[in-house]
Amino acid sequence: MRGAETAIAFAQLLIGGGIGFVMHRADFCFAGTFRDLFLLQRRTMIRALLLLVVALTGLQAFGYLLGLFAYPFPLFGPPSLANLLGGIMFGVGMVLAGGCVVGTLYRLGAGSFLAMVTVAGLVGGSLIYAEVDRWWAKAVVALKLDVGAITLAQLLPVAPWVVAGGAILLLAPLLVAWGRNGSMSVAHGPEGYIQPWLAALLLAGLIFLSTLAAGLPPGVTTTYTKMGGYLLQAVSSPHLAAIPFFQREPLNFTHALSGLAIVGGAGPRLDGIALVQFPLMVGIVAGGSVSAWRLGEFRFYLRAPQRQVVSALVGGTVMGFASRIAPGCNIWHIAGGLPILSLQSILFVVGLFSGAWLGTRLLLGLVLRPDRSSQAGKE
Amino acid sequence: MDEEKTDLRMFDIRGQICPSTLLVALREINRHRAALRDGSMALLFITDNRDSTVTIPEAAENMGYRAEVRKVGHHYEVEIGNHP
Repeated sequence: MRGAETAIAFAQLLIGGGIGFVMHRADFCFAGTFRDLFLLQRRTMIRALLLLVVALTGLQAFGYLLGLFAYPFPLFGPPSLANLLGGIMFGVGMVLAGGCVVGTLYRLGAGSFLAMVTVAGLVGGSLIYAEVDRWWAKAVVALKLDVGAITLAQLLPVAPWVVAGGAILLLAPLLVAWGRNGSMSVAHGPEGYIQPWLAALLLAGLIFLSTLAAGLPPGVTTTYTKMGGYLLQAVSSPHLAAIPFFQREPLNFTHALSGLAIVGGAGPRLDGIALVQFPLMVGIVAGGSVSAWRLGEFRFYLRAPQRQVVSALVGGTVMGFASRIAPGCNIWHIAGGLPILSLQSILFVVGLFSGAWLGTRLLLGLVLRPDRSSQAGKE
Repeated sequence: MDEEKTDLRMFDIRGQICPSTLLVALREINRHRAALRDGSMALLFITDNRDSTVTIPEAAENMGYRAEVRKVGHHYEVEIGNHP
């Protein structure tokens, strides 16, 4: 591994550690944020999430104005109704799983059995997508929206910083008011708790550093697909070779800070995707573990109700499949695409709200039915 | 209220997906609201879900109850009762 690659991998590992640590301390769960908005009309975390997006809007504008990374980021393309559909499916999946693709990682680090089940689902869902990709690739052509732009700034068209500055000016007074009246803080919390507003700012800083280190926003889902690819390779190498999805390398860009060509795809190879995503994932798991160990809260707890285990598996599978359709996960779109007002990400987030609502209905109706959940509580 | 006369009901809801712990708590708070109001009962939820130590007290306090969070070993105890 060359020097630049080592530096990127090491930086992603450390930044991932920070992200996992902060997320565990604050239990900054993206799935819970959307779910609780519909389930409990609880708005504390969605406000904090908006703070994170607005902070990243400013930081990323600073980054591309200085030429620290490309605008728009690699892998973002013109919008498609597939982004909306992927967002809906992803929203359903993350609520059923009880965590998104990154929330699952910090909980895995803290010893969550249900998170392990969700990871199995994510790998399985990615593999199911790989099997149907050749048909989906044909269908997706019809879903493309021919608007000739990737971001809102390109659509208008205005300079990117104008849109970023406008969004910040519009939302900053609201965020300041929420900060002053305590709408982004909570009264009670566990040991070592980080208030939502502070966690949002810390995560925004860490995500910006990761974007700087990798040259593109944090994402982890292609690595789940790679894991599936390695499994498939172990079972049937000829079958893997016959799937075009595993041969493609959609990531192909020049890293602005190092000049390194970063090329990669979903196939079971140690390529550019593995370089930027795998150390980040390991870091998030490790960060969750360190936080839990230091609090004395690390513990494998296997006594989850059967219905919830099935829900975690189904949710993970749906998320794994959705992340290939979207394409990308909630972190990629909310913390990467939304701050540059990517049209793909706007559609994904609209879908995510709808999917989280639908997922909450399914969770209440099928998974947490009162007659069943009463078995979970031991009186 | 005299502590000795308070019936403390315990619910072990460790190891479950996020909203389940809160939903169990809300159901039990509503089921025992009369006894909670007159102080003859308090509820104790044992959870390993950090989020529950935020959401259960928040929901209970919004309903006018007293909420206390304690860390015990690897997990947390959330006690819900009437104000003294």
